[in-house]
Amino acid sequence: MKFIHAADLHLDSPFLGLTSLPPAFLTQVQRSTFAAATKIFDRALAEHVDFVLLAGDLFDRAEQSVAAQAYLFDQFNRLNAAQIPVLISFGNHDYATDQHQTLAYPDNVTVFGSQVTTHTLTLASGETVAVSGFSYPQRWVADDVLADYPDHAATDWHVGMLHGAVRSGGPADHYAPFTVAELQAKHYDYWALGHIHHHQLLASDPPIVYAGNPQGRSVKETGARGAYLVTSHGTKLVPEFFPTAAIMWEPVTLDSSATTLVELGQKLVAWLQAHPASQPTLTVLHVTLGQALSASDTAQLTDWVALFQRTQHKVLQTAQREFVRVTVQQAAEPLTAPKLDQTYWKRGGQQVFTVANQQDLLGKLLQEPSLAAWAQDLSPADLKQAATERLNQRLREGGDHES
Amino acid sequence: MNLKTLTLFGFGQFHDQTFHLQAGFNVLLGPNEAGKSTITQFITAILFGFPTKKHPELRYEPLDGSRFGGAIEFEQDDVTYRVTRVDGPRGGKVTLQNLTTDLPLPASQLERLLAPVDAQLFMAVYALNESRLGTVFQASKQALIDRLRHVGAVGSDFWLDQAHALDQTSATRYKPQGRKPTLNQLLAEHAALTAKLTKANAAYQTYLTLREQQTANKRQQTELTTQLHQQRQVTTAKEHLLQAWPVYQQWQALQATPKVAASGFTQADMTTFERLSSQVKAAQTTLQTDQRQLQTLQAHTQLPKLFQAYLAVSDQVTPLFDDLAAVTARDQERNQLLTQKKDLEQRTNDYERQYADANGQMPQAFSLATTQKFKQLQSSLALATQKRHRLQQQLNQANETYRQLRPTRQRQNLLANKQVGWLIAGLVVLVGAMFLPGALIKLIGAAGGVAIGYYGVFIVDGETPVGRELQQLSTEFQDLQAQLREGGQRLDELTTQIDAIGTAHDLDRLPAEQWLAVQRAISDWERLTHQLDQVHQRLTTIDEAQHHFLTQVTTALPTLANQSVAAVVEQLTRLRTTQRQLASQNGELADLSGRLKRDQQALTTAQTARDTFLQTRNVATSGVFYQRYQAAREQGNQQAQRQALADQLGTKRLAQLQQTTQAQVTQDVATAKQTTTNLQHDLDAVTTHLATLAGQLEQLTTSGTQATLRQKLANLETRMQLTARDWLVDRLASQWIEATLEAASGDRFPQIVTQAGDFYAELTENRYTKIELTAATLRVQRADGQWRTVGQLSRGTAEQLDLAVKLAFAVVMQAQAAMPVVIDDGFVNFDAARRQAAYRLLNRVSQQLQVILLTADPAAGTAVADQRVLKLTAN
Repeated sequence: MKFIHAADLHLDSPFLGLTSLPPAFLTQVQRSTFAAATKIFDRALAEHVDFVLLAGDLFDRAEQSVAAQAYLFDQFNRLNAAQIPVLISFGNHDYATDQHQTLAYPDNVTVFGSQVTTHTLTLASGETVAVSGFSYPQRWVADDVLADYPDHAATDWHVGMLHGAVRSGGPADHYAPFTVAELQAKHYDYWALGHIHHHQLLASDPPIVYAGNPQGRSVKETGARGAYLVTSHGTKLVPEFFPTAAIMWEPVTLDSSATTLVELGQKLVAWLQAHPASQPTLTVLHVTLGQALSASDTAQLTDWVALFQRTQHKVLQTAQREFVRVTVQQAAEPLTAPKLDQTYWKRGGQQVFTVANQQDLLGKLLQEPSLAAWAQDLSPADLKQAATERLNQRLREGGDHES
Repeated sequence: MNLKTLTLFGFGQFHDQTFHLQAGFNVLLGPNEAGKSTITQFITAILFGFPTKKHPELRYEPLDGSRFGGAIEFEQDDVTYRVTRVDGPRGGKVTLQNLTTDLPLPASQLERLLAPVDAQLFMAVYALNESRLGTVFQASKQALIDRLRHVGAVGSDFWLDQAHALDQTSATRYKPQGRKPTLNQLLAEHAALTAKLTKANAAYQTYLTLREQQTANKRQQTELTTQLHQQRQVTTAKEHLLQAWPVYQQWQALQATPKVAASGFTQADMTTFERLSSQVKAAQTTLQTDQRQLQTLQAHTQLPKLFQAYLAVSDQVTPLFDDLAAVTARDQERNQLLTQKKDLEQRTNDYERQYADANGQMPQAFSLATTQKFKQLQSSLALATQKRHRLQQQLNQANETYRQLRPTRQRQNLLANKQVGWLIAGLVVLVGAMFLPGALIKLIGAAGGVAIGYYGVFIVDGETPVGRELQQLSTEFQDLQAQLREGGQRLDELTTQIDAIGTAHDLDRLPAEQWLAVQRAISDWERLTHQLDQVHQRLTTIDEAQHHFLTQVTTALPTLANQSVAAVVEQLTRLRTTQRQLASQNGELADLSGRLKRDQQALTTAQTARDTFLQTRNVATSGVFYQRYQAAREQGNQQAQRQALADQLGTKRLAQLQQTTQAQVTQDVATAKQTTTNLQHDLDAVTTHLATLAGQLEQLTTSGTQATLRQKLANLETRMQLTARDWLVDRLASQWIEATLEAASGDRFPQIVTQAGDFYAELTENRYTKIELTAATLRVQRADGQWRTVGQLSRGTAEQLDLAVKLAFAVVMQAQAAMPVVIDDGFVNFDAARRQAAYRLLNRVSQQLQVILLTADPAAGTAVADQRVLKLTAN
């Protein structure tokens, strides 16, 4: 018995954290979620798997993507032609609504309802597989759904499908919260999880697996992205990860002794030539300079990055890299600013860097949907760090100006 | 920190001069231009660095060219340091020496020793002069507050500047009400892009609708295809039915031919018959061959034709030779019998002519009893007749008598009647006698009759007439008449009986008198008849025998047909003779005849077999058999053909055909074709629509508008977030600065303010008792409780307020920054009393802090006891 466990396809979802990209790369980006998913379905067909599990977030409902729906339809038809069943439990992004029901997938597709149900498959080998799962009826599922999952059925195999996150005890436990112990208590042969985009095994016997997303869509989603091909070995199910990402994300930290932007540019070209990527890679570059740049160079830094990308387009292309963002950290300099006791800075920081103060400051901006979510993720600590950097930068600039 | 010595290498007007200072209150007394401000500037410059060369008036470089700079020895935390500063880059070259341990220290150590006091703070708080006190009034209210806040926290001015700059930067990034800042522009762009995307997202609904239509249409297409397929089959089936119609008609036609039971006329029968026929033919051929051979032989032996025929049937004919004698004998007997028969017939015919009735029927003979009875009846009849005759005579007599007695006519009649009666009776007897058998009886009868007649005419004519006798006569007459009637009756009775006998024996044609005589004739006739029968029987027997014989002969030898027996016998006798003659002749012929005999036998056997074969089939001739066989074969063929047609049609279709008509089938085909066409049309329409849908879907799915817009939006949002983050960081950094400044000063503020209040009260001789300092306001309270703002104060009073706050700050903050307070002629705007008060205050403060007062006021030197007064002399 052999099946594929994938999740979080997030078809046709845009890449996050980009400000601009060359058109050629943009096209690749737009196709990447599809390209990655296609690799999964290709593998399913090549391996003649018995079935395919998609543990939620196949697409983002809010985006109402025609391309995503059409794509799924076509791919499911492909699998249908090969008589490969597909089992889907929708997650928090593609939660099932009535509207969705109007779009009939091919016959080989089983979509779990909002209640936990068990679907039993009989494989060509004669083995029987019970698959239990459910679909999100809305964005959040805070209930303890684990109680609704049945014990191991009288089938040869029992696989659980769950789109959710491990219970944290916090207020954000609204993604079908569970604990590993709860999953283990069901004595299933495999748990196909979704929601967390980083593929990982929460436990190995039986495997409790997050498939991760097949295509990273932000700088936070670095490293190999893909899905699992699960094969039976005796009485065990063994998951084997296979990569699918069409575009990689890679954060790079570069220490440089460059003292001018020209020098930095040369160093970067050299680095690019020495580190070509094996596939298109969105590179987030963080340069630490051993010595501070001159004030004029510092002032030009932002423009220089854009200029570098344009002038060194060929080099970037050869290295299959595109700089999404370049940050340059300069060496700390003795400050000429009057010092205040650290305890005051600390006390002031405590007063300023709070979520309440952030929200107070943001005020009307929080009403912008596009910023509200972003604001949610702002951490006071990060902002404090950023503010420190900002002040340092100002002091450096100010100091230079004064001298 | 206490300054112990000031050594000026070359600074302003001074060169190589040292001032020694004490820990408490120091007064440097000198007139104008004695160098009071230079000293103040020297302390600031050595500790915090020379001003840049952009401001040479502040540098106090020596006019005489001696070495620029100097040294200050100071004591801090019981350690004495010496800082030496000479001309050099970045504020001058510094040398630092720990005098207690006599060790040199790095120059950078100086800043740490002085911290948190920097040049700015030192000049703002500790180095006081009139002009600085005066800035209180030149600055705005906010500036004053800032200043005071600056006093509250070390370096806060710088930080406040930074905070201000950050606020300005942040304003270029975002303003809640603005339009120009980056984020505001991005937000506007975002709204526009979102609207565009929403428009593009409408495609989603269109897509879903199209997809639904596609699903529905596909289902319809499948259904239609199935229907069409079925309909095509139906049409084909119907068309086949129609095509099969001629075949069906043929089948029907074959069905119409009557079915004849034809057992015994099969192919096998035919074969058998053919075999039998050929056997016959073979036998015939053999026979003919042998016969030809015989003919050849006969050509030599000159055998009669009949013998040749005989040879063919010798085994049938030869037995007959033995019968020839018997046949001849029978023929002779027959001839005799024929003669006898003719005689007997002659005789019987005679009798029959005599007695037989019209039909030739002979009367029957009486039995013995009947004869007896007849004779008796005859005699009774005779008696009765006689009696009647007698009575008639008597009556006639009586009648005569009566006639005699009566008129003649009557008598004549009577008489006549009597005579006639007798005549009649006589006649009757005469005639009846004629019918009696036998001539004698007839004669007797005739005589009787004549006698009766005579009697009646001549004897009965008697007369008994008497007169009176008439009456008697009449009675007698009546009596006679009665008797006569009685006799008549008796006569009738007898006659009837006789008649009955006659009738019973078919004799009523003959007179009863002849009956007895006829009896003999009858018996003779019967005997003759009997004889005739016997002869006839014998004849019949003979005839049968002869006929049998002849039949046998003619069967064998047809040429002998229609010949008399004698002739035949003669012929056969001759054949026998010939045969006997031949038998003795040569063996070849005998063999041949034997062979011919066998051939004949074989032929007969074969013919018999064939005939039997034909008979069992109730068929007369082979021709008929062939006819029947052909008929049977034809029928078989037809049945086979029909079966073949039925097979061709199939059971099902045949059944269907039988239940319908050609017109109906034609109609069905047309209907089915129409339905097929309609379905095809529908299917085409659906297929076309599906193609259109596929095109529309293709266009929708490949347009990429949504994805492009969405990515644009995501990118825009990223930019928005980055901008917002920058803005937020700016704002937070600004807030942080302010919060930190507040934190740094916050807890000391009340202390400073309270202390300043006390000092201010002392300076103003308790005219003002309280200071209120908040972020927004600075005011003082008079002793009478009234509040005055800074603007309402006089210049001197305001300067005293500034002094009070600065001194309070220095005192309160001395734990952190125990810097000496350097006052350069600061009380010029104070009145004498307040100036004294100021000196007293300074004296008191000098208990805690080193105070260096540079003044031209000699009173200062005397105002306070235990003081160290250095005199500066003007050059």
